[in-house]
Order: sequence, then structure tokens, then C-alpha cells
Amino acid sequence: MMAQLVPIPIAAASTWLQLDLLHVDFMRQALLGLLIIAPLTAAMGVITVHFRMSFFADAVSHSAFAGIGLGLLFSVSPHWTMPLFGVLVGVGIMVLQRRSRLSSDAAIGVVFSGVVAFGLAMVSRHAHVARDLQKFLYGDILTITPDGIRGLILLALVVLPYLAWSYNRLLYIGLNPPMAAAHRVSVAAYQYSFSAMLALVIMISIWAVGVLLVTALLIVPAAAARNLARSAGSMLGWAVVVGLLSAAMGLILSAQPWANTATGPTIILVACALFLCSQCVQSRAAKRTA
Amino acid sequence: MNSPAVRFQALSVQREGVAILQSVTASVPSGGCCAIVGPNGAGKTSLLLALLRQIPYTGQIHMATPPPRLGYVPQRLDFDRGAPITVMDFMAMSLQRRPLCIGISRALRRANLERLADVHAETLATRRLGALSGGELQRVLLAAALQQEPDLLILDEPTAGIDVRGEVLLCELLERLRSERGFTQLMVSHDLATVSHHATHVILLNREVVAEGGPSEVFTPPNLAAAFGLHMGHIMGRISGGAAEADEGNR
Repeated sequence: MMAQLVPIPIAAASTWLQLDLLHVDFMRQALLGLLIIAPLTAAMGVITVHFRMSFFADAVSHSAFAGIGLGLLFSVSPHWTMPLFGVLVGVGIMVLQRRSRLSSDAAIGVVFSGVVAFGLAMVSRHAHVARDLQKFLYGDILTITPDGIRGLILLALVVLPYLAWSYNRLLYIGLNPPMAAAHRVSVAAYQYSFSAMLALVIMISIWAVGVLLVTALLIVPAAAARNLARSAGSMLGWAVVVGLLSAAMGLILSAQPWANTATGPTIILVACALFLCSQCVQSRAAKRTA
Repeated sequence: MNSPAVRFQALSVQREGVAILQSVTASVPSGGCCAIVGPNGAGKTSLLLALLRQIPYTGQIHMATPPPRLGYVPQRLDFDRGAPITVMDFMAMSLQRRPLCIGISRALRRANLERLADVHAETLATRRLGALSGGELQRVLLAAALQQEPDLLILDEPTAGIDVRGEVLLCELLERLRSERGFTQLMVSHDLATVSHHATHVILLNREVVAEGGPSEVFTPPNLAAAFGLHMGHIMGRISGGAAEADEGNR
């Protein structure tokens, strides 16, 4: 009797959620792509939140338009111009922050305005591209190709070792850069390399959730992890778990006939719901210790 | 006489055309406790940041050869106080390459606990950084700086934000550690009474060096008036006794 009872709810849930959708090729590809992107963004998000760089992430993501514009100008695929230009913008903002007297917000604001205006001006000259902009705004993970998946694996092979190498030092720099420098941490090298790496991850993640929501993919899992973790180490683990859950659940829910929503926004909605749960967990823990 | 641990020579710092420091020439003697004092805006922290190569400057900073290992205790940390970063995490960040999510090695954990015990903070190891009081955080920052096994320990306003008792305990702790380990201590302080009791050398600064030497040589009415203005009479009594006592002790 019991043996029969256990599988029934799972089977029911599977039927209700129409999990057989995942047998369709493009859904499987999308799931695979998201399962690579989500841990990367979540892990980078932990440092992004620690450095208070969400405005930086916004500026870099909006430079996608300029990357597309440059591609049109030089007749090069935006798959190349977007990440390259994004990295350039990320490093450029860091140069401005470190070397000019402008406040951090002002430095980012200036670059943000310039690249968005340039991108929109370029794109507006080409009516057919302007129509395609929607996929950059909201993301288009369902059309990811095997080549795209290979690109993501390559990205993970670059970003994950980098994070493993620099996670502790980046956290240390975020607490007080002069202290880190005095204690023999190469602050400038870490700041520039993290900016470049973050820009690269953002530009690639735009294919999944779009310009408007890519910052959320970085920030929301990290914010939930902050509520759930008890140490700097477990924060990274929690962020990856929340990122993965959001991506998988978001993809499945968005494909439901009753939902029929764009995948990117659905993923972020799930992440926000998980953040709310984490907030409740933290509030209960705080009450217990009070 | 030992050569100085640090010698500032004609050091100037400008920010947006405004002179923060003007041709500062001063020395930090080896093995002692040197205090940089002066009013708000005198350029004390800028002098430290120049020493740490964190701001551009003209002039020269000579250090002993080989360059000393530095330990730095900042005035505060700029972080989200709700972040789940424990004292043990913080102590491991600059010394362990393996990411914290894989754990802290047993040897480093033991070394961290020893350093924390040196500053009477071993019970804080599992506490979050954001939950520490001002005095507790200062001791943890000091432990992290000591972990670097410094030849030159630099402290920016170490007694700011802690009560008088905490201040006395911290100064006594620093004196004990300095005599045990033999490092040179260089600190910025606004508290003339503390400096007069504990410093062996004082650099009185107000954008330029007003006076330099032992506390009783530096804390004279004309020097204090030149640095702080004319209304210094009420603190003279408090510090003059301490300065004479400190000089006596240093002799």
C-alpha cells in the first residue's frame, strides 16, 4: 500500500507540471543552458552584492545595445561584439572609478548613458534589428543551439576556476581595499579581472533572461543566500542552489499552458519567491535568537 | 641610533587643487610607538594612505630595506552588517587560497584562534563581523593585522568609537604585543591624552609638520596652539602630566 502511495504524488505532479515537455529537444537544450548559466550568475552575484556593484551590472547589461550597434556597424555577429564591448565597458567603468575623482555612481551613470544612447542610435538606423530587440530585452533561452551550449561550457571553464582562485581575496577587498593592499593582496588586479569576468557573464546571460532582468539573476539568488547562510563559504553554496532552483522551476513553469509566460521573467519571479521564503526563514531565526 | 622604519621626505598630497599635505618631512623611529596627531582635516589619514600607496603623492617615502611587512588596522570596515561573514571567515580570507565554501584548513583555524587569543578575542571566532561591538571589531582587526607578522603595524584611529576602558585595554594590549614581537607601531589618533601616555614619538600635523619628537617636546602650548588653535588651555593640564610620565617611562 505504502509502496504505491509514494510514487503517486510524484507522478501526479509530473503530469500536472507536464514534465514530459522536457523530452522536447529545445526544452532540454534550454534546461542545460540554464543549469550552466544559473550557478555562474549566482556565484558572481555573491561578490557583486558584497561589492555593491548592482548598478555596475545594470550599466554593463544595457551596453548590450551598443554591442549590437557595433556589430551592425562593422558587419560582425553580435555574439562577438556584445561580450567584447561589455568587457570593455566593465573595465572602462573600473578605470573611471579608480582613477577619476567622480563618485562611483556618477562614473557608472556617465558610461551607462553614453553606451545606451549610442546603442539605441545605432539600432534605430536599422528597422529590422529594432524589431528583434525584444529578444535582447526579455531573453530567448529556448532558441539556444548546441554551439551556444558549448560556448556556455567554455565560459564556465573560465569563470569557475577564476572564482575558486579569487573568492576569498575578493571578499577581503570588499571589506576594506587599503587593508587588503597593505596585506599583500593585488587589489587593482582583482578589481579589474572581476569587472571583466562579471561583464562577460552578464553579456552571455542576456541570452537567457534579457537586458532588463539579468541584474536580477545576479542579485536575487545572492540576496536569498545572504538570508540563509551562516558563513561566507555557505553563502556561495546557497546562492548556487537558489539560482539552480529558480532556473529549473522557472523554465518548467513558463512552459505550462496555464502560464504561457516568457522564460526569463518567470525564472526571476521564482527567484523572488525563493527570496521571500528566505526572508521568512531569517526573520524566524532572528526571533528565536532574540 | 637605529635607522628610522619610515622617513617621509617633502611629501605633498593634493586633491582637486587643494593641498592636503604640504612638504611633510618626518621620521618614524624603529621599534617604538609613533603617533600622528592633529586636528580634523590635518591630513593624518592621508599620510597613512600615502604610506600604503593608496593615494597619489609627490615627495618620497623611504622605508627600511628589505621593505617591512605591513599590518594595517583600518578605522572601520565598509560592509553590509547583515552579511554572514564570521570572524573566522574574515581571518582566513587573506591567508587561504582554497575558497571558503570548501572550508578552512585545520592548521589555519588553529593559527587564527591563537591570534584571536593574543588579543583576547578567541570567543568571538564564530560571531558575525556585523554583530561585533566597536571594541570587539578593533581587536579582531588587530588580530588580522598581527597575522601578517608585521614589521610595521599601522593603525588608523584605533580608539575611535570605543569607550575609555576599552581604549586603555587596547593601548596596554598594543604595548605588550609590541614589546613581545618587536614591531614598529604607527598610529593616527585624535586623543592627545592617550598619545601622551603611550606614544614614544609624536608627529604633530596640520597639513604640514608642526612639531616632531617625544610627547613632552611636542605637546607644548605654542605647538598645540599652532596645530589646534588658541583654545587648548583646558586640555594642557590633562596631557602635560601624562607626557612627562610617558617620556620618563620611555627613558
